Formats: sequence, structure tokens, C-alpha cells
Amino acid sequence: MEKKFKPNIVGFLCNWCSYAGADLAGSSKTDVDSSLSVIRVMCSSRVNSNLVLSALLWGSDGVLVAGCHPGDCHYEKGNYYARRRFALLKKIAEVLNLEPDRIQLSWISASEGKRYAEVVNKFAEDISKLGPNPLTSNPKV
Amino acid sequence: MSNNQKETKNYPNKGKSLPVEKSIKDTVFNIFKKALEENIFDALLIPAKVPDTDAYSWILLQDESLFDIADPLPPVMTVQGGRALSSFSKNGELGLKIAALLRPCEARAVIELFKLHQVDLDNMTLITIDCPGAMPLADYMNDPKKIADSFKKISEKWEISESLRPACQNCHRFSLMDGTGPDLHIGLLGENNKVTLIANSPEGNDLLEKLGFESKDSLDKWKTEKEKLVKEKTKKRESFLKEWQEKTKNPDGFFNELNKCINCHNCMNACPICYCQQCYFDSQMINFKPEIYLKKSREKGALRFPLNTMLFHIGRMSHMVLSCVACGACEDACPVSIPVGRLFSMVGDKTQKQFDYVPGLNREDPLPLQIFKEDEFCEVETPNECEEKATEEVK
Repeated sequence: MEKKFKPNIVGFLCNWCSYAGADLAGSSKTDVDSSLSVIRVMCSSRVNSNLVLSALLWGSDGVLVAGCHPGDCHYEKGNYYARRRFALLKKIAEVLNLEPDRIQLSWISASEGKRYAEVVNKFAEDISKLGPNPLTSNPKV
Repeated sequence: MSNNQKETKNYPNKGKSLPVEKSIKDTVFNIFKKALEENIFDALLIPAKVPDTDAYSWILLQDESLFDIADPLPPVMTVQGGRALSSFSKNGELGLKIAALLRPCEARAVIELFKLHQVDLDNMTLITIDCPGAMPLADYMNDPKKIADSFKKISEKWEISESLRPACQNCHRFSLMDGTGPDLHIGLLGENNKVTLIANSPEGNDLLEKLGFESKDSLDKWKTEKEKLVKEKTKKRESFLKEWQEKTKNPDGFFNELNKCINCHNCMNACPICYCQQCYFDSQMINFKPEIYLKKSREKGALRFPLNTMLFHIGRMSHMVLSCVACGACEDACPVSIPVGRLFSMVGDKTQKQFDYVPGLNREDPLPLQIFKEDEFCEVETPNECEEKATEEVK
């Protein structure tokens, strides 16, 4: 029997909201897909496009960037900048046909443990459907 | 669109036409000589041919006798003018009034560097000139005489020749654009044997006034000729964009081009926009512990060196492509002939449109990644907030 593909996903979570949301999901015993490896960052705008690209080129199948809802940024406007940068990165992936669906931006507040679980589970499911990241096995990369 | 409003407001209608007696170069230099003599500016940044060699570089000219080696439109673009200007003006407080004669793409790079605080424009007069393009640096170095001769012929006829640099063949911004870019533009198109000075800012007007010129001459002929060529080159550019989108339809198309990369980072060093003192890709940030490489090579079957070439190119792209002025300096600098300028220009076209931004067009337009609107790009959010907003409105 063929082994079921379990993706390797990197999640950059904002310390002030999504990371706390993940904590809440855990403490309220919500089922969260285990394919996500969490990296805590102080703000979603701290996520340089290189971090996302590095993850994708060095073996992850998907990258999630999660921050506070617009208007709720701990630093007032970091998430707005993050969104612009993310839009640019997504566009570059689109133009070069590098599977833009492997990167995702989500807003999850500290009180949204349930939403955190939903977002992660859905993303893991989507990435599983996409299959392994072709970049990681491509000898040209 | 706000851009269009600016166009009609800013676009100059009159200029000053000067007859060409000896040569275009001579006419242009006479203007500069006068400006230097009368201390309208103290120094002029201009390309020059190094005596006894075939090399071109930039000089900050103060001694008039050096006009002999200066060349307003050299056959090659060795160092991008934006880089030259930034190298001495980024710390500000120049104390001297400086004029810089640049190709339009170089002036656009200067405007982008201005927004990145890498040039001081306080005492600077930016002067651009209608640009016929330049020849590939490698071709010129192989046979300087032959290439310089063919450049002369090409530039006289304003021919979109295949022997020009690819960036120049596909360039539709070779002349003055409708924005607050340079202070003064030198029009070569239009009437034969005439050079047209076009003031594009109050400083430009001031300069012409001090030189004793009145902007009274019609720009119609220059405009018609320019717009004709813009149209022709826009068409050329569109077909180039289409061709390269086709080539990168499959990710391997992009990788195939970049697989020749030897990771020398020349493209980054030649790029006027890449100004960081310590580049992320030259830093230790991208290095892992040795066992990671062994693990990766086991997983993949083999690991390819140099490492991180794709990360470098896509990463650099995500850092500077919104400011890419498509000058082609990167492509000229590539020792293994990767069409890196064309790739960046193609991605630049799409991403700049996404943010409704034209790099180097207006000094006032902020860099797209330094501003935001509260309500935008909902399509990149997951769950898709656009849909949620739309349903809320229905309710």
C-alpha cells in the first residue's frame, strides 16, 4: 500500500495573535494538523520574502504567514505592510508559474483558536492535494 | 487616473531649439561650457572615454578641457549612471551645484535611489537626453572599433537594431516621460540638425533662464517623432513580454535560463537599485550546518553547487523588482550571458502594474512597499476576505 503523503509546512506566526491563537487551540484541545512547523515571529511584517522562499526551496511543501487582523496589529500597521509584500511575492510566483497556492496569508487573532485550527487543517489538506513540492526534488533548483 | 492628471499639468509645451553647427555633441557641450563658466553649476557628471583606451566611465567634470574626452551618448553603458551618482552623493551635503547628464533609464534609477535615500538631489540638476540605446558590453569589448562604428550608424537612424542590447531594443522609455523625473531634457528627435532643450521642472526653467534661453519654440515636431518611436518600441516590448511569458510558462523555463549562473552576484553589483551595504545573499544568513547539506543531498539524490542560486535570483527579485527600471545593466554584467535583465523586466512589468507604479516616473510617488491602504489586496488573504465582505454587503 502506498504511504499517504504528509506535507511539511512552515508557519510563521505573529507572537501577538496567531501564535497565541495556536496556543488557545492547543489548550482547548482542538485537533490541529501536525504537518505545520511553527516559527514564532514578532510581527507578520518581520517575514522577509527570503524566509518564505528559503523554506520553499529547501524542502517545505507550503508556507503559512499568519498575523493579526487588519486594524489589530500590535505595532499598528505591520500587517498592512506584510500584506503588500505578500501580494508581491504571490505575484512573482504567479508570473514564474511557481505554484503560488503553496504560500498563504491568514489573519488569526489570539482569541481565534478555532479559526487557527480551521485555517491550518484546510491549508494542510490543500497542500496534501497539491502533493510534494516539485522544487525540492527538481535537480535544476 | 491620478497619473493622467499629472501628465497634463506637468508636461511642458514649449522648449528651446538650438541649431547644430558642428555636431550634436558640440552643441550640447557648448551649453554645458557656458553653464560652467557662468557658475550656473560647479561640476558636471558625464560619461567619458578614458584616454588611450576603449574604456568608458563617469567623470565629475570641472575642467573644461576635459570635454574632449566626454561623450553624452557612449556606445556602451559600462556603469549605470544611478550607481555613479549615488557613489558620491549618498551622504548628502555636497555643497556644490552639480548637473548630471544621464540616459533616461539612469535618471529613473536616480529617482528610485532618491526614494531609497541613496542620492542627494538638493543641489542636483538631472538632465536626460533622447537615447538611441547602447551596445552589449561584451560585444564592444571584443571589437571596440567595429561596435562603436555600428553604434554610430544605428544611433543616427534611431534604428531598433538587433545588435543593440536587448534591454534597449525593448525600451519604450528612452525619452522624456510625462512625470516629474529630470529637470531638463535634451531632445534629439524631430527636426534635423536641431537640439531641443525642454525644461521639466522649475529648476529646469531656472537653468534655461540663467543660460539666457527662452522656451518659446514649439515641441510639436519632437513630440510627433518621439511618440512615433515610442509606439513602435512599445509594440516591440509587448512582443518581447509575450515571448518571455511563453518561455517561463513552465517553471523549468525560468530555471533553465538561470542554471548557467555561477553565483558571482555581478548582476546585483551592477544593479543601480541594489544598494544594500551587506546583501542578504552575501551574508551568513543563508548558510546551514554541514549535516543539513548531507541530509539534503541524500534526500534529493544529489545536491547542486553553487547553492542558493535560485534563492538569490528570486529573492533579489522580490526585493527590488518594483523599482526595476529595465536598464539592462545586470544582463550586461553577466559573464555567462543569462538574460537576467529580460527576466527581471518581464516580472517587473507584471508586478509594477499590480501596484500601479512606474519606477522613476515621479519623484513624489512613494515606493509601493512603503505605503499601504487599509482596504486592499483582500484577494491574497485566506480565507478570502473579499468574499466575506461581499456577503456582508448583501446582508
